[in-house]
Amino acid sequence: MTPGPAPAFSTVLDSDKFLPYAGDVRGREKLFSLQELAAETGLPARTIRFYIARGLLPGPAGAGRGAAYASEHLARLRAIRKLQAKGLMLAEIARELGGAKLEAGLPEPSAWWSYSLQEDVVVWVRAGLSPWRTRQVRTLLAELASRLGAEAQEEEKDDGND
Amino acid sequence: MATISVATRFVPVAAKTDTEVRLAMQRLWLTGRILPVGARLQVHHTFRSSEEKPLEVIYAFGLPRDAALRRFRVRGEGFSVRSELKPVEEAVKAYEAGLAAGHLSTLARQYGDGLVNLTLGNIRPGETVTVVLEVLAGVETHDDGLRFRFPFTLAPCYHGKARAAEVAPGVGELELPEDEFGDLILPRFAADASDLHEVGFDLRLAMPGSIREIASPSHPLRIEQADGSASRVLLATGREVPDRDLVLDVRTRNGLEGVLSGLDTEGHGRFAAVVPSRTFGERSEAPRQVVFVLDRSGSMSGAPIKQARRALEACLGALAPDDRFGLVAFDDRIEVFRGSLVEGSAESREQAREFLRGVDARGGTELAAGISEAAGLLGRGGGDILVLTDGQVFGTERILAKARDPGVRIHCLGIGSASQDRFLALLARETGGVSRFLTPRERVDLPVVDLFASIGRPVAAGLEVKLEGIAGGRIAPEPPPAVFACRPLVLFGESDGAAEGRLAFAWDGGKAAVPLQICASPLGETLRVLQGARLITDLESRWTGGEESGAAVRREEQRVDRKLEELSRAYGLASRRLALVAVVERAGDQPGELPKTQVVPVGMPQDTAFASYFRRPGPAPSVAAAPGPVGVLWSLAEPARALFSRRRAAEPLAYEAAPAAMAELEVYEKAADTLLELAARMEPDGGMPGTTEEERVQATILALLSFLAGGNTENSGAFRSHVRRLLAFLEDALHIHPVVSRIITLARQGRTLEGDWPARQPGPKLWAQLEAEIPAELR
Repeated sequence: MTPGPAPAFSTVLDSDKFLPYAGDVRGREKLFSLQELAAETGLPARTIRFYIARGLLPGPAGAGRGAAYASEHLARLRAIRKLQAKGLMLAEIARELGGAKLEAGLPEPSAWWSYSLQEDVVVWVRAGLSPWRTRQVRTLLAELASRLGAEAQEEEKDDGND
Repeated sequence: MATISVATRFVPVAAKTDTEVRLAMQRLWLTGRILPVGARLQVHHTFRSSEEKPLEVIYAFGLPRDAALRRFRVRGEGFSVRSELKPVEEAVKAYEAGLAAGHLSTLARQYGDGLVNLTLGNIRPGETVTVVLEVLAGVETHDDGLRFRFPFTLAPCYHGKARAAEVAPGVGELELPEDEFGDLILPRFAADASDLHEVGFDLRLAMPGSIREIASPSHPLRIEQADGSASRVLLATGREVPDRDLVLDVRTRNGLEGVLSGLDTEGHGRFAAVVPSRTFGERSEAPRQVVFVLDRSGSMSGAPIKQARRALEACLGALAPDDRFGLVAFDDRIEVFRGSLVEGSAESREQAREFLRGVDARGGTELAAGISEAAGLLGRGGGDILVLTDGQVFGTERILAKARDPGVRIHCLGIGSASQDRFLALLARETGGVSRFLTPRERVDLPVVDLFASIGRPVAAGLEVKLEGIAGGRIAPEPPPAVFACRPLVLFGESDGAAEGRLAFAWDGGKAAVPLQICASPLGETLRVLQGARLITDLESRWTGGEESGAAVRREEQRVDRKLEELSRAYGLASRRLALVAVVERAGDQPGELPKTQVVPVGMPQDTAFASYFRRPGPAPSVAAAPGPVGVLWSLAEPARALFSRRRAAEPLAYEAAPAAMAELEVYEKAADTLLELAARMEPDGGMPGTTEEERVQATILALLSFLAGGNTENSGAFRSHVRRLLAFLEDALHIHPVVSRIITLARQGRTLEGDWPARQPGPKLWAQLEAEIPAELR
């Protein structure tokens, strides 16, 4: 279990009104405790800690009793939920959220298969899906390919008739 | 010669990189006592933090069959605290409050499919903490002994909505839908378990009468005679890696028959009775309707699917002409042999064999669809289904709900090094069938033939059980509706106090009774919680949770919820409604520091291919119909390497068997192969094939003598139903030659003739040779 290093907070979030960890955070923006953050997002506190450890979410500003989470944390958790609903796994979400804005170096690459069904039709499928999902997708692609093929033949026939 | 394997010394150093491995959980040790009706286990988890911050560790595991968590104790320097049983919401709140206050908090919470998260928060840097969890578990009982299984690892399982990926070389992740599994956290699955925590066991076995054999197909054993009639069973190698379940076989000399009883802490009588199947007499020979359901999912690939195919071929040989059968193979698609039930004729059996030859392991595990297809084949006439599967599926409560519906009996043969024993036992029991499980390194074909012999013809159907002369006597859970050959009836019950009476049985066409004495032994409390664990497991399986459904179903779920909470409280056992929690206040606890959360990884089950769940980006195998992919844009993949390390498997386990014993084993295996082949060649009328009637009778006698020499009779041995059918064929061939009737008499007496019968051929001289061999008193 070695989750990658958490991306630096400032490089991760869209918001440019992000506030630094320490100092005069309080009083300038609404802050949450972990329990409040949990209540606000409907996520169990344990799950939020798990996300922090995996580098999906930055840790709180401050430490001990003063540890606090800001609206950026809330936005980040909502973004994670949205991507989960789209079918992404946590490892992919970490890449998606963390990679896009990393200044040093290229974003982490992801692998895609490209299926050329016809000369003019290419379908992209993410590589590394579970085997059963891959089979589902391939079955549908085969169907699509054969239908496209049939259509093309029909058209050729029609062309010949003209 | 005994060679001791080299890699027995456990060192927390990564084998590949030689760097120190920082294990949050270092050790998992199993102790406890196994009784004929269940086990009371203590599972010791040793956690140690090598972090600089407080640590929160999550360990995920699956429950054994018929199991429930009772309590745990958290031990560390200067403290030892017992858990409390609380409704889940309260327990989570207590855990979080304790964590926020800087205390050491521990939570054991159960989710669907019998999955548990043990979470331990705020372990200090350098601190060692042990959690000893008490687990009540069931065992698989046989007339002559039992099989015990404990999960040391968790199998990744198929679920239609699960997402799986390889996140680092040889490391897989699996995520389950939240609406069904809540905030359950699954471990990472390591293709190579050799860098993970160490596991081992030190168990006591207490059986009635003398033990004939204690063996394990999974781990090397050391056995010591403990005080009294108990035996001590230890891991011979000292420590192992978590890549397979522990499986223990216990065979007794005189069978498991008997009653265990005692008084619980409140003075109530508790008992568990094991009634052997022979109490119910012989089984009927009525024609049967059986559908074989073969799991062809990717995780079955390799030895399991090959063995299963061979086993099914032998089962086909045991079908009588008036039996009707069907065949279904499933992964995430279903293939049906001939769309309807067919008669056991030679032609259709040959076609079924042809069908089986084309079955190979590939996709997901849509078990529910396979079962409902099989139930559809059986139709209104009902019948039996025999499922051969590794059971590696999540969301089993929904499968159970669907399986209960059609009212057909389902029998299961589970195959796997971490097979879902809990689920398959439930699937069989809830539908009135029987289940057996095996490891992939055992023969699968003989046990399936054995199981098949019992199917379709229970020794007792329409069973009713009454307690006579026992004040306040009650049996729970409900006795099963049928009893099958070789599988005893196991009953749990209670009474007002010590008592003497009897258990009376009535079934279609028979009745019997056995004496029941409930005495004042201290075993009562153990029997009480074992009974509770059974009741809770049964009820848990009826809780499908979270599914969108009508008001009636929701009301039923609420009823199950309430009942589950009641049961949990009454027996003091955890369930999905009640969790275990403990908060330890240590001196100098600092509030508010956020612990670092880690999940304990587990090893892939030994015989499950990593790639059947976690596929890395790479060239996809081409499927004939689908166009091949033409390119990969980016690849994260490292240079290809062995996905699945067999390093440990290739090492000698502990002691090499003596050459003589190996040779003996080989002979035994070959003999079994020969018998399977004979069984597969049997004709529907029970005879062996041949060109003339005389030749057929001779071939049948040779086959019969081969089965008898292999230790099979009409009523015992895996091939008992084959022996019966061969005999029935010979009964109709008495006119062929006087030797026939003598052979039948011999077989009925369970005797055989010396000779290498499988190698002999029918011919004119055979009659004389047989006559010479037959003992004088039969001539």
